[in-house]
Amino acid sequence: MKIDRFNIRERFVHWLVAISFVYAALSGLAMWSRHLFWIAGVLGGGETVRALHPWGGTIFALVLGVMFSRWASQMKLDAADREWLAKSGRYMVNDEKGMPESGKFNGGQKMLFWVEAAFALLLFLSGAILWFPEITPRVLRLGAVLVHPLAAIGSIGGIIVHIYMSLFAVPGSLKAMTEGHVSARWAKAHHPKWFRQRTTNENESAR
Amino acid sequence: MQTVAKLIDTSLCIGCKACEVACQEWNDQEFTLGTFGGTYQTMPQLEHNFWNLIKFNEFETDGQMSWLMMKYQCMHCQDAGCMKACPSPGAIVRLPNGTVDFNHDNCIGCGYCITGCPFDVPRLSPETKKVYKCTLCSDRTAVGLEPACIKTCPTNCLTFGTRTDLLRKAEDRAHELQADGLQHAGVYNPAGVGGTNVIYVLKDASAPESYGLPRDPTIPWTVSLWKGPVKVLGSMVFLGGILGTFFHYIRYGPKKEEEHADED
Repeated sequence: MKIDRFNIRERFVHWLVAISFVYAALSGLAMWSRHLFWIAGVLGGGETVRALHPWGGTIFALVLGVMFSRWASQMKLDAADREWLAKSGRYMVNDEKGMPESGKFNGGQKMLFWVEAAFALLLFLSGAILWFPEITPRVLRLGAVLVHPLAAIGSIGGIIVHIYMSLFAVPGSLKAMTEGHVSARWAKAHHPKWFRQRTTNENESAR
Repeated sequence: MQTVAKLIDTSLCIGCKACEVACQEWNDQEFTLGTFGGTYQTMPQLEHNFWNLIKFNEFETDGQMSWLMMKYQCMHCQDAGCMKACPSPGAIVRLPNGTVDFNHDNCIGCGYCITGCPFDVPRLSPETKKVYKCTLCSDRTAVGLEPACIKTCPTNCLTFGTRTDLLRKAEDRAHELQADGLQHAGVYNPAGVGGTNVIYVLKDASAPESYGLPRDPTIPWTVSLWKGPVKVLGSMVFLGGILGTFFHYIRYGPKKEEEHADED
């Protein structure tokens, strides 16, 4: 049995966010360290990267805004999520007995959503300041040169974990974001509360 | 090779602006009139195509107006904030004679050097999207000539030479001025940026601000943090993230679906 998880609109928005994030991250890393400047060569040269990185970031901010407005209501942490987070150490070592059941998103996924959204806001604000160094006030730029890389480090770190979880740690997850559905076994194992809601609702609607 | 420097004796500057013209001529800069501030000063600030500005700082003592004239250009810091902030290899280089020079083939126009500079010197050109500043006439010094501004100065206010010689000369001149009654005369060679290759003799070194010079310039601490500990933190997060998740997989493997299914 297949269970729909993300509709085409959600998947489209997610991948726009992902692609723009990867571009912004790689082009940003190229300008972050001289040891990573070779990335600029791959992306068309330093001047191209300097010109396009802010636009990549702007597109990222826009599509992330769409994703945020569509998902924020589903990402509110409830008591069970907080308990899940308190016991997340067990989740990390695949010993999930006694952990609260997750809904469509578990506590970790919800936290990632909020943390990445906060980092994105910081990146956008500080990035706008760094975009036009010839006109922005010096004191703002002096703050932005710290905020921008710190927020980037945080968001890239979070996304490394996100990619690991979806590709390797939780087999079957990627399909949810490519084809849009997961297996019933997957849903029951990782998001049992959501699984029950979906199956009950479907039974009701079938009636 | 010995480090070369420029000595500016503000007590001898007459504000003729010959150095401004020489700089424009030698560097083949088109003069674009900027804002006229209603003073004798050519323009309020340096521009991407105007690297040498005589500041006519006006001040009043006993109802008499006088000028503190100050030649304003790149200071060629020993510990240069622009170099520290620059992400593009080879865009800002230190020549063997100590000069901080911009190589525009490698400049990507990010403007980080503008933020890194404690003296607010580099300027972004809206046309080329690259950053420009005084080169200490590196194309002249390379063949044993003095910079154009120094060549043209009619009052010996400007001197070119090795940094060691000029520092001694500056101290001597400051003592001379003190003996002449300017008790606060002194040398401006700020230690916060490791000293500068542009050295001033100020008539009143106790108040460099009145010349428009920062009292104790340093590379901004946020820039130092950004290019130091933050980089280390970033490398740790990126490498730690990739290696950590990899070894997590090796140790714990993927999550199983069956175990949970059995619990129900």
